[in-house]
Amino acid sequence: MEPAAKGGFVLGNLAEVVERVFGFLPTKALLRAACVCRLWRECARRILRARQRVSWVSALEPGPAGGHALVHALARELEQVHVLPQTVLYIADAETFGGHEEWHEQKKARKRNSRETAIALEKLLPKRCQVLGLVTPGVVVTPMGSSSNQPLEIEEGEAGFALLFPKIDGVKIHTFHFSKDVKNRVFDESKFAEAGLKNNPDLRVVLLFGYNSWKSGATRFLHQIVNPLNEKSIILAGGQVESFTSLISENNSVQPGDACGVVGLAFSGPQIQSATVLLDQDVADERTAEAAMQRLKAANIPEHNTIGFMFACVGRGYRHYKTKRNMEADAFRKFFPNVPLFGFFGHGEIGCDRIVTGNFVLRECNDIKDDLLHGYTTVMTLIHLGSTKANQV
Amino acid sequence: MSLSEKNSVVFAYESSVHSTNVLLSLDDQRKQDILCDVTILVEDQRFRAHRAVLAACSSYFLSRIVGQVDADLIITLPEEVTLKGFSPLLQFAYTAKLVLNKDNVSEVCKCAEFLGVHNIEESCFQFLKFKFLDFKSDQQECPRKKCCTQRCQETSPKIASVDDEDLEIDDEAEELLEKGYMQTPDTKLCKDEENAKLSPAVQDNANQTCDPVHVERGGVSSLSSQCPKYRKFQKAFGNDKVHNLETNSSIKDIQVPPIATFLEKDISDNDVIQKAQECVPMQLVSKREETQVKMEEREEDMEKKEESKRDSVTQNVSCPVEKMDFAAFPAHSAAPHGLNSVSFLHTYEQYDNLNFSGMQNNTVLAEKTLSGTGVGNDKIESQDDTPLKVDLSTREATNITSAGDRSSVEREVAEHLAQGFWSDIYSTDQMHLPPAVPKERLEPVYSGKKSECPWLGIRISESPEPCSQRTFTTLNSVNCPFMSNLSTEGGSNSSEISSGDYAQGQQQEQCPYNYLITLGEDSETDTEGDSESCSAREQECEVKLPFNAQRIISLSRNDFQSFLKMHKLTPEQLDCIHDIRRRSKNRIAAQRCRKRKLDCIQNLESEIEKLQNEKENLLKERNHILSTLGETKQNLTGLCQQVCKEAALSHEQIQILAKYSSSDCPLSFLFPERERTTPSNSELAIPACVESADGLSGVTSTNEQSSCYQCVKSVSDATYDQAQELHPVSVRTFEKTSLVEQCGQSGGITDFCQQMTDKCTTDE
Repeated sequence: MEPAAKGGFVLGNLAEVVERVFGFLPTKALLRAACVCRLWRECARRILRARQRVSWVSALEPGPAGGHALVHALARELEQVHVLPQTVLYIADAETFGGHEEWHEQKKARKRNSRETAIALEKLLPKRCQVLGLVTPGVVVTPMGSSSNQPLEIEEGEAGFALLFPKIDGVKIHTFHFSKDVKNRVFDESKFAEAGLKNNPDLRVVLLFGYNSWKSGATRFLHQIVNPLNEKSIILAGGQVESFTSLISENNSVQPGDACGVVGLAFSGPQIQSATVLLDQDVADERTAEAAMQRLKAANIPEHNTIGFMFACVGRGYRHYKTKRNMEADAFRKFFPNVPLFGFFGHGEIGCDRIVTGNFVLRECNDIKDDLLHGYTTVMTLIHLGSTKANQV
Repeated sequence: MSLSEKNSVVFAYESSVHSTNVLLSLDDQRKQDILCDVTILVEDQRFRAHRAVLAACSSYFLSRIVGQVDADLIITLPEEVTLKGFSPLLQFAYTAKLVLNKDNVSEVCKCAEFLGVHNIEESCFQFLKFKFLDFKSDQQECPRKKCCTQRCQETSPKIASVDDEDLEIDDEAEELLEKGYMQTPDTKLCKDEENAKLSPAVQDNANQTCDPVHVERGGVSSLSSQCPKYRKFQKAFGNDKVHNLETNSSIKDIQVPPIATFLEKDISDNDVIQKAQECVPMQLVSKREETQVKMEEREEDMEKKEESKRDSVTQNVSCPVEKMDFAAFPAHSAAPHGLNSVSFLHTYEQYDNLNFSGMQNNTVLAEKTLSGTGVGNDKIESQDDTPLKVDLSTREATNITSAGDRSSVEREVAEHLAQGFWSDIYSTDQMHLPPAVPKERLEPVYSGKKSECPWLGIRISESPEPCSQRTFTTLNSVNCPFMSNLSTEGGSNSSEISSGDYAQGQQQEQCPYNYLITLGEDSETDTEGDSESCSAREQECEVKLPFNAQRIISLSRNDFQSFLKMHKLTPEQLDCIHDIRRRSKNRIAAQRCRKRKLDCIQNLESEIEKLQNEKENLLKERNHILSTLGETKQNLTGLCQQVCKEAALSHEQIQILAKYSSSDCPLSFLFPERERTTPSNSELAIPACVESADGLSGVTSTNEQSSCYQCVKSVSDATYDQAQELHPVSVRTFEKTSLVEQCGQSGGITDFCQQMTDKCTTDE
């Protein structure tokens, strides 16, 4: 029993060794291990705190029957991830029917239980985690594993991803949800402040997602939200999604489908750098798409600890590029070999050409105030979340 | 923490807006040219700035400014730094905001690199370059075309405006002609009408042909080199116009000359005319030949030609069309003259501005042919009023004046004319002229001919009876060339009238420019005395310059600069031009400023009036309210008394009532009255209070007892303490008396007071 005792001594007393060992554990295992003793708990906490890299779970193929592929993937992969998610953004495809009957039926089925799926997803995530879930016609996703994996534009078929944002030093991520209140016509400014969209000098990026945009007054409402934000020196990006499924903080009060509204994520922090480009209708072949990517590249946003977002129109994709699939994602990969790309195909885009870093802001100065809402375009956004020192992949 | 430790604590106050505000105020200073100690010269453009700011923002300026000691440093930036690139950067230095667009981004980038401007990140230039590049490459299929059309669009409006003017004039002329012809049955009628009808089409054609030619040119030439060509084109257009004049009776021919001139500018005008000649109807051949001769002559020798022209003027008295030719020719001959001497623009301007060119020519000629001043004058006369052959001799007599005199007189006359001189003439003319035809013609002619008024005006002023002579009834009128022309023609031949009409119509074509310019001059002379001296000086300079001051003034900034570049000007001339421009701008600004001030004063005056009215109204209202208040008080007092009587309130009750009622409630007045009535049997403890109450009653009832107040006041002052303790009423009284305080004199009846206090204490 000698060696075992020695081992026990080492693991019970030497924090360095324990930390080294723990460094290889995924979060869930780490949390379990933290229950063993005080030393381990301290070590686990320290390690978790150091894990500040964004992680993601993606589902590309239809999973086993019963439940969305993303649920299965998340259930499986959450055991493996190395971060403790604090904010989660997940986007799943809405299964737009493409003429196939089975899909049609499937969609019906899914619609019925989309709420259940959302709840199932939320159950998998830590309790204090902010979750924002969107359902869109198509999904752009980078396969799990390396961030240099080829991103895929999945316009049809079951797919989804979940971006897991840990607690990052110097970066605050708020989720927010503004829904159009029929009774209260005046927009509540205090909600802006609550979401960190007001009186927040460090606000850098706001990802906005409008839902139920087909409802009357939705555009006006969206303008109401977007215009005050647009006056600031921040990056605005996003689009119109089919619907949003989960937002834990307001889980009970909100019934999606009833009213139009806007959900989103607000990134604030002095070290965040971000750039966004708009690929308009003229961008319709490889050359022009790459030119746009070159432009994004020229913004000179650091590439480590950076996520790319791509919000495209359902009208784009392979039909727009003369049946060439995955055009924009490939162009992105060509210029940003190590940036994971996520996004969706939605019903309209929010974005423009803009660069926001701590040092400067480059934006169009237009006489026409709002030039943010587009259709038939693609918005490509890079968000750099600061250079974290201790990154453990 | 000890006291000393507490004292040693240091606080830091940090303002987050300070840096921004400092920059803002620096920018303000720069705009107002306060404390600026360096001038930057970029492409002849001056920028005032602060050394410290520039040095702080740019390493280049740091290196150039450090060590410089002279008070007013002028830094001339090398060629690498362009105006386009520099001005945004200067703005950035003062505002932290860089305005970039497609045009300037590359230049700003270059300049920023060259100047080593801090805090500008390369990436934004890259980003924008790609953006604009992207934009370009998107439309790669038709970028050139687009560019071309854009350029053409830029230039074509100018052309169009010129064309429009011409067209309008032509239309007018045609209208006139048609009217005239309809009313004057004639053998020539049909032909002329045909011409008239043709002319719009011809003009259109000419314009259309111009446009493509120009488009071609625009496509070929780069933007920078476009300007001279544009001028050339304008010149060509001017030629065209002259050809119009020359070939007035056969407008069909115009179609050929303009195109010819556009396409083959190098071909001499003679060739053009020869070409035209081929198409000329037979009746005009002789005239054409004459004109051709003149052209050749002109090419041979200016003076000779003028002489010959003069000769021809005197010879060809009977032919109005030829007279028109003459009218055209001096201008035309002036063109090559200017062309040789200065530039295309000069010639263009001479076409533009017959007034000016005529004058200038005159001066030049006067200088050239000192001996033949008569010739020069003649030439001008022929130019101004060619058909005025009848009175050549008299005019020579009157008009042998120097060109300088003329230009000075001309100004005066322009003023006269501006005062509706001609309108008077219109009326007289209309009264005098029974035939409708000439009347109808006359009006437009006059309106068109206003430009030539200076000269005419001179004549008018010099001739004894200007108005009466300028009619058709007096056929041998002297002063109005066209009138006289018409009159002679009217006398001789109707066909000649028609052609004369045409000549008038044609003559009109020259007018709009002149008209505009004379108007401008008028407006100048409208301004105050100092500006007039300015304009006089301008006039002086003008003579030296190859173009007129109006042009210098009216050009936009960019045009002006390119315009200056096109001419090789001496420094004095440049100074003069800049001076003129600046003065004129200042003048305009001053005018505006004056106007604004006047407006402001007017506004303020009206406001004062309004406020005074308001004040009056308010005072009235106040009086009214005061009177109603008095009434109301009386009513209230009466009511209170009544109530008290009816309720048969006891004295104490009234006291209490008075205590709790407000000061201006009549109850409190009521109370002392009551009090007064029952001083003897009341159980008041303090007589002083009674007395003071007595005094108070005086306040309410009458003012007779004013002497009493003093005592009341002092008493109450002294007895306040005791009174307070003793009875609430005394407090009441004190309050009342303190109200009356201001009317009471502060003469201290201290003895009385003392007495009273003694009394009080004893009573106590």
